[in-house]
Amino acid sequence: MEKRKTLLEKYNIPLSHLDFSYVKTCKNAREMEKIVQILRSGEEGNFPDLQRCSEEKLKELKPDSKLFRFEEPIQKSNILDKQELKPVLDWTHDIKSKDNALNELKNDMACLGLDVAPMRKPAKIDADMPSTKKQSKPKPPAPPMPPKTTEKRIRSTDYNKWDKYDPDEEILRMELSEERTKEQEELKNRHDPKPTPTSEEILKSEKEALYERLQQHLKKLSQVEKEQFAERHRLRGNEYFKSKEYESAIEEYNCAIIYDPENAARAYNNRALSHMKVKNYLAAISDCKACLEMEPENLKARLRLADASYAQGFRRESLHLYQRVLELQPDNAAALKALELLKKQLGELAPTHATRLMIEELKPDASDKPKEKPKEVTTPVAKTVPVAKPPPVKEYDLAELVKPNRVVKSKLVTAAESLGNKFKPPPASAPKKQTQPQALTGEASTLPAMLRMPQDNIKSSNKLLIQEI
Amino acid sequence: MDKPQLIEHLNASVNYTVYDTKWIPLSAKFVVLGSKANSQGVMDIYELNEGELVKVKTVEKKVAFKCGTFGASSLRNRHIAIGDFEGRLQVLDMERPELPVYNVKAHTGIINTIDAIGGNQVDCGAPEIVTGSRDGAVKVWDIRQGQSPVVDISPPPQMGDGINQKSARRDCWAVAFGNTFNSEERIVAAGYDNGDLKLFDLRSLSVRWEATMKNGICGLEFDRRDIPMNKLAVTTLEGGLLIYDMRYQHPTKGFSYVEERNAGRSVGTNGVISGPKATVWVARHLPQNRDIFLTGGGTGSIRLWQYEYPDKRVVEDADGEKTGVAGTLHMVSAATLSSQPVHCFDWHPDKLGLAVCGAFDQSVRVLITTKLNVL
Repeated sequence: MEKRKTLLEKYNIPLSHLDFSYVKTCKNAREMEKIVQILRSGEEGNFPDLQRCSEEKLKELKPDSKLFRFEEPIQKSNILDKQELKPVLDWTHDIKSKDNALNELKNDMACLGLDVAPMRKPAKIDADMPSTKKQSKPKPPAPPMPPKTTEKRIRSTDYNKWDKYDPDEEILRMELSEERTKEQEELKNRHDPKPTPTSEEILKSEKEALYERLQQHLKKLSQVEKEQFAERHRLRGNEYFKSKEYESAIEEYNCAIIYDPENAARAYNNRALSHMKVKNYLAAISDCKACLEMEPENLKARLRLADASYAQGFRRESLHLYQRVLELQPDNAAALKALELLKKQLGELAPTHATRLMIEELKPDASDKPKEKPKEVTTPVAKTVPVAKPPPVKEYDLAELVKPNRVVKSKLVTAAESLGNKFKPPPASAPKKQTQPQALTGEASTLPAMLRMPQDNIKSSNKLLIQEI
Repeated sequence: MDKPQLIEHLNASVNYTVYDTKWIPLSAKFVVLGSKANSQGVMDIYELNEGELVKVKTVEKKVAFKCGTFGASSLRNRHIAIGDFEGRLQVLDMERPELPVYNVKAHTGIINTIDAIGGNQVDCGAPEIVTGSRDGAVKVWDIRQGQSPVVDISPPPQMGDGINQKSARRDCWAVAFGNTFNSEERIVAAGYDNGDLKLFDLRSLSVRWEATMKNGICGLEFDRRDIPMNKLAVTTLEGGLLIYDMRYQHPTKGFSYVEERNAGRSVGTNGVISGPKATVWVARHLPQNRDIFLTGGGTGSIRLWQYEYPDKRVVEDADGEKTGVAGTLHMVSAATLSSQPVHCFDWHPDKLGLAVCGAFDQSVRVLITTKLNVL
């Protein structure tokens, strides 16, 4: 009978390769795996040091090698300390109360039974039918156009009619008719399946219809069920987020918020992040604010709000927001870094607690004031001047109305010019803050890319945030 | 240690063969289905209670139970759908198990596998149950329909004297619902003893795709039932574990996949695989994270896997056809539970890391997996 081959022969590796000097210089991960296997098998003798050395080398060459998979006998729960087991025990209590609540609900099934989807029409599929035929799916004829509305278009000059026009009502009507056509289509599709047209608008109207139905479904649900559904949608949103499908993630978070608006802080927070990923910073800002309304101490939401404001171009505002983050966590690396960057960009800024001196106008004869620093002068009145850097205009006499509490050095002027000549560094004053967002919103889209948040900053901060959701 | 660890929290020995274990949604209770030595069916309900397992209820029926699911029941009426050894499908109310809510002679042979959908999802179509049986048929049931299936997926009746009929008929071992992201779309995947994998489209009532594995298919699961098809886990005899990326179907090549061989075998304590090839009985995706799943193997070991997506999930080939790109599989941890195969496993839908599993050593175990949220 033939002798069984040893691993050495099987892998065709010379004995001389089982050596420290060879192992150290080996570059071939595959060969290294074989060497480790030979050494572990003990067929050529037991060399603990050499084995360790070659395992280390293999780890270097191929860290995810299957040879590093280990299996252990299952541990009993007594290896966990009380603290780790406690959540499970607490959870059992919690779930039991939910369980009981559900049992009580059991009797009023009737109302819920109404909106269960209709039954399928009995059918057969031949299991042995080849699937290849199906490859060339016959394209169905174009979907029927939505029925023409009998109403005439309102002409742009017909002001009387426009006065009576109620956009909300109109939207509602459109949605309803879309829903109706959709239902009709559904009925047709049951026998004759057609891919629905996937144009953006139809998708959108479907979504609207879905939300509508969710709302109706919602009325029939108990709190336990709402929480349950909301949580499920939120988790699904997280999954989409992880696989970088941000649009779908936003959809799921939308549903989660619809189901349980009272406890939607986390859903808002996560949706904000998804919005940021698709560069919809304004939506992100409003989501963060919604989250902070529910959980004012939420660090992630504060940081995200600051990031979003920065990215949207509200830089002055974001500075304060970053400072708010530091109030919660003084050593927050992302906030500190962003602040540093901001300060570099904006030049020296007045500290947040600095108040502005109100200067009463004394006399109109101050028009002979020197105008060498017109750029620092920005007031609400200055907004009426179309040009961002108002030329020294005598008749407005802006310098007199408001005076900055601090003279900004000319460094800022050049910086501002390079950033885009529309950008005005307004003085940090409380009343001014109100008007600032609107003023900048319009500009944001036209701002050069330099004003956007630099990529490295996004990455560093988001990495943290992704882990946390 | 910052990687997840599998821990046995509680266990219970039973005096019957366990065939399936399922958590009752939104409760601390689970159901154990099995067969007594005299082939009577038994259903036990256990509850977690202050760190111990309490048996709440035992129900016995004439015929041994094979498989069960809560997928078609809503949160308010948590009814279990059970398939038994004589091909009967029944839906039981846990409070009043004596009289089934629904009862039908579904197949002529044992119902090997069951899956259900539509109970909990809004806007995802009708609640339906799918069964796969030794008689080779896959049938979809709606309990409002009465005594016949809503979709019957059977091989054509065979001609001839029937001598070879028994062997020619395939045995369906695994079924799974998927792709149910709106009220029309729905797909049933079915795996057979000869390694055939078929994807049936319930909307167009056709075979969407088919493939053949090297070995018989024991387990199938879509990573999520209620989203557009994303991934499908297939487990086979002799240790095959395949993860198909179901997002893009190439007209000729079909779906792309990543394969892991010997996933059912024990890894051994020092990474050297030893022993015979072993079946991978079951794959179950974590309800809280679809990219993590657990497989139960024939040597009594369970393994936790993580799927990593490739940088680009789709590429266009020379003909401009889209081809999916499979990701990579990464084994997170492994543990030996038993000397017998671990063939049923269920993650708790509401508590991350809590699971119940059954093995052929006549015991059920409640497991806790730590640190799943760090993955």
